[in-house]
Amino acid sequence: MVIKNKGRQKIEMVKMKNENNLQVTFSKRRSGLFKKASELCTLCGAEIVVIVFSPGRKVFSFGHPNVDVVIDRFLKINPHHPHQNNNLQLNEACLNAVVQDLNNHLTQVTEQLEEEKKRNEDLKQKRKDDKKSENWWEDPIEGFNLRQLTEFKCGLENFKKTVTTEASKYLQATGHNFYFGSSSNATFGIFDNDGNTNSESDLFNHRRLVDMNTFSGNHQNMIIPHPSTTPYGNNVIERFAPEHNQNQSQYCFKQERASECDRQPDHPPHYRHEYC
Amino acid sequence: MTRQKVKMAFIENESSRKATYKKRKRGILKKANELATLCGVPVGVIIDSPYDLTPEVWPSREDMDNVLSQLQRLPVMDRTKKMLNQESYLKQSISKASETCKKLTKENKELEMKEVMFDCLSGKTSPSRIEKNDLGGCGNVIEQYLRNLNRRIEILSKNDGASSSSVHVVASTSVAMPIVELGSSSTAFCDMIRQQQIQSNMNQNVGGLDLNQQQW
Repeated sequence: MVIKNKGRQKIEMVKMKNENNLQVTFSKRRSGLFKKASELCTLCGAEIVVIVFSPGRKVFSFGHPNVDVVIDRFLKINPHHPHQNNNLQLNEACLNAVVQDLNNHLTQVTEQLEEEKKRNEDLKQKRKDDKKSENWWEDPIEGFNLRQLTEFKCGLENFKKTVTTEASKYLQATGHNFYFGSSSNATFGIFDNDGNTNSESDLFNHRRLVDMNTFSGNHQNMIIPHPSTTPYGNNVIERFAPEHNQNQSQYCFKQERASECDRQPDHPPHYRHEYC
Repeated sequence: MTRQKVKMAFIENESSRKATYKKRKRGILKKANELATLCGVPVGVIIDSPYDLTPEVWPSREDMDNVLSQLQRLPVMDRTKKMLNQESYLKQSISKASETCKKLTKENKELEMKEVMFDCLSGKTSPSRIEKNDLGGCGNVIEQYLRNLNRRIEILSKNDGASSSSVHVVASTSVAMPIVELGSSSTAFCDMIRQQQIQSNMNQNVGGLDLNQQQW
């Protein structure tokens, strides 16, 4: 049986010898302990406090409802459960709702993460399986000689031309302007360049509409639309999206994150502001 | 180990909740003990619930008092820097998970685009059949590859070109690198590359090294 990690082996319950391992273990186990504590609170409504000192004498603590309240009660500073106050009950209910919301969100994100991990494994496995192909250029380029490198380079550059042509054909066909930007991560709104009133709202619908990854040689900066090219300029954007509270350059970047979030159909809208 | 996934929400069923509480409390105390022992650090836990007459304290009241006094001795800043409650803890977890997810998505996209690129180059598909949304991502992968290729070319050109090629000889590949067809100009280019390859195969000293052995 191949033992992949120490978790499937029994370990001695004594202080670890290796300093580095000890530090790593501390990090992981502390994180796990907090996770368990959080789950206990959510599932059973218990009150808890966990205080941990690191090997470097830093302190980490987790507490529900919060560390100080539970400690105080333990030290008998404030006696048991002051549930007389209606206000307190209301606050507690509010807090519970927030926490429940957060839990749901965390579950969702974790599921997504698992999916991406699986996809990652599958893709890597596929590449491994395909390795037996006769196409020498699919191998790592570190193994190429100079001739192969130049040959592949020529081939790639030719391919690049084809792709660029396809891209510009598509751009022409759809009749939209693109703002070319940085890496494949950036997403760009397709702005209707008619300049008529319909596109006022389109500015913000388009942000979500198409997630186009166009590439360009410019990998450095996102080219932000110059105010004179958008018919309406900065003020309009602020007027239509007051909750975003940002200037235009941030808007362009936020576009990326907003549309990435909106890609998830059941993603509750109000999370966009805080977590994305 | 297939178990039912537990929904992270307050357990409505009273007896179920009580049972879960007992088990998980035991589990937490066990984990706290392991952490304290393995890492040789002070740990203190207090758990309280309607199911306990008195709050559960670990390791013991005295030890907990010790931990608390150590805590009090620290300046406020240090005490509260890593202090979390449910809300802050969950927010932190969410953002960490989101970050990782984002990175993975990006990597996956790149891997996918690499496959598309290879498929095009080997003739399994063609650029016109690439998803329009993917054209950009594909382009990025091409750019990345070209950058790496150029870097390798530079390195090998600096070292003696002849000596390195004797190590990385390709066992006779009669498969020339197909160039994606784009009209007559590229067909001619294609032919030219093929010619070059045949030429160099004839001239080259085929060392019989397997492709796979090249990887180092």
